[in-house]
Amino acid sequence: MTDGLVTSIDEAQVLTTTLSMPYTLTTGPAAGSFLFELGNHRILGSRCEVCSRTVVPPSDYCSRCGEAPDEFVQLPETGTVTALTRTDRGVLALIRLDGADADLLHRLDLAKGAVTVGTRVRAVWAATATQSVLDLDCFVLDEDDQPPGTAHPAGEVGLIAQVPHQLELEYQHSYGPHYGRLFDELASSRRILGSLCPTCRNVLVPPREFCDACFVRTGQHVDVSDHGVLQAFSVIHLEFVGQTRTPPYIYAEIVLDGSATRLIHTVAGFDVATAAERLSIGMPVRAVWKDPADCRGTLNDIDYFEPVPSPDQQ
Amino acid sequence: MPAVAIVGVGQTHHSRRRKDVSQVGLAREAVTRALEDAGLTMADIDSVVVCTGPVLFAAVNQPEKWLVDAIGARLKPVVRVTSGGGTGLAGALAAVNQVRAGFADRVLVVAYDKLSEGALQYSISTLYDPFWGREFAVGIMGFSAAYWRARMDVLGHTEEAAALVSVKNHKNAMLNPYAHVRKEVSVEDVLSSRPLCWPIKLLDVPPISDGACAVILASESAAKACLDPAWIRGMAYYCEAENAAYRSMIQSEPLTLAASRVYQQAGITNPRRQCDVVEVQEPFTCFELSYYEGLGLCPPGGAAELVASGATELTGDIPVNPSGGCMGANPIGATALIRLAEIAQQVRGRAGAHQVPDARVGLMQAGGGWANLRGVAVVSSEKG
Ligand SMILES: [Zn+2]
Ligand SMILES: [Zn+2]
Repeated sequence: MTDGLVTSIDEAQVLTTTLSMPYTLTTGPAAGSFLFELGNHRILGSRCEVCSRTVVPPSDYCSRCGEAPDEFVQLPETGTVTALTRTDRGVLALIRLDGADADLLHRLDLAKGAVTVGTRVRAVWAATATQSVLDLDCFVLDEDDQPPGTAHPAGEVGLIAQVPHQLELEYQHSYGPHYGRLFDELASSRRILGSLCPTCRNVLVPPREFCDACFVRTGQHVDVSDHGVLQAFSVIHLEFVGQTRTPPYIYAEIVLDGSATRLIHTVAGFDVATAAERLSIGMPVRAVWKDPADCRGTLNDIDYFEPVPSPDQQ
Repeated sequence: MPAVAIVGVGQTHHSRRRKDVSQVGLAREAVTRALEDAGLTMADIDSVVVCTGPVLFAAVNQPEKWLVDAIGARLKPVVRVTSGGGTGLAGALAAVNQVRAGFADRVLVVAYDKLSEGALQYSISTLYDPFWGREFAVGIMGFSAAYWRARMDVLGHTEEAAALVSVKNHKNAMLNPYAHVRKEVSVEDVLSSRPLCWPIKLLDVPPISDGACAVILASESAAKACLDPAWIRGMAYYCEAENAAYRSMIQSEPLTLAASRVYQQAGITNPRRQCDVVEVQEPFTCFELSYYEGLGLCPPGGAAELVASGATELTGDIPVNPSGGCMGANPIGATALIRLAEIAQQVRGRAGAHQVPDARVGLMQAGGGWANLRGVAVVSSEKG
């Protein structure tokens, strides 16, 4: 056997997974109008008369009193830096636009001169519109020294109702001693391990530190069979984003001989259209393994489970 | 235990995709309606519990932070509670306990999900262990279909029994102005609809919805100002181990535990006779059948017979889901709270076209997974 995936405290063997999630986000009237009007080189804010406050970007609800704002206003392109930080992706600043009562977070281009809190800045528009907050490219030093501008009613505004969004989330899951050993044995020796609970004497697959029912520390790893019984199954026709198999296929929960827990896998090796008649709860199934050269230390090293032919079929 | 009452409820008109409001704008609508119903303003609210499903549904982490602005909850205690499909009821229980403990006199529970925004099945599939089974996950539909199939084998139930649930709930949803699926279906329609995860078929499955619900809970003294409070007579929420040895898939142990605890609190010994109306959270039709048994509305294995008898129809002796249940709308994070709101409206006599006449004692159930998370509550027009 190898120790490929077993994790010690100092050397973590990890399973890297990526969740790649697509979204269509609904902006609501305020954010949607803000994004739309940036394309017209207009910076919108919203005004709450109850609180006498103007905020930018505009908000559908006043964060002070909870009321819907009275109107959208158009803000000047000039303002004052109230805070800033240098990051490896440039300088980010809070900017109090003239006529606003709250700060706008954006980036500063420092090519022209030094900026500190209190510095006057002005907006620079992006060359091409992308219907995002980056239509406002950045703020730069305002050298005109004009008096501060004021907000005025925005009049008619357009709306971007929905924006596409994508989350790419990478995780590194640590195998730990139990999963590490399990998948090492699976890949190298076609062995499936469980943990024996010293109290209830059940064998738990996958192996684990504690018995879920007794909450005592499990003792030893024991081998379980790659034969088992079909505890439950369904026939998957549904297609969805992120699916790893092509429908139709069988979702199966199998209790391996010698264990007391379920293993989630697929049953195959026959025409899926006949599954409803062919499969039954409690029927014996067995693992069909991938070629040893293709085993990677995952559940997929078992290609699928197949029904065990009854003696008269053999 | 100190008495706690529901004094206001509100929900949105649910839909497949609300393009006109953001996630928090949706939640705000329900809050505005609940406050109006209770005759209160946000100034009267001492504490807020926010409930949404997994953050992957909507790509917004700590959504309660965003919601504070939208509902005027600044400088109030605000926490988020999440617990799979049972999220809304878990949040209500947290609110009930805040009132019981004397921490707050009036607590607003607001629950919502805007499911049109993300990849639902993919998001739900991340509840599986990344090492062990996630590659085979099909949301909750894959395993639910599998366990239903196992129940059919063991109990001799047929696909028709679940189809009857679909027919009943679709019919009831016609009377519910907040439902977004309003279309009658027949048993034949259900049986011949496209299989998604056989034996679950398209018409066994609720819609995917954008929607929100809000409920205001009050202490006995704060409820005095309310003309028709719905009193919480019992509420409990239980959890099962994910992959314990010899786990039964025929009935949810957390459900039977929650039911027996709540019945004890509420003094109920015969739920079918003592409860006038029931609302359950049925992610698919087959769930409602197993709930009949878990809630003790019929003997174990008797669900197919119960639904076939017509007893759970709106005109039956134990109407289940007069609102149409999830079949009318299923904004997951809000769904459990919608069941509680609907049962409160029943005992307040405010359920409108789907009112069960003279309903005084209402039973509701909610939860997540096939059997993992289950909560139950009994609500009554009498304080007890
Ligand atoms: Zn205000
Ligand atoms: Zn044990």
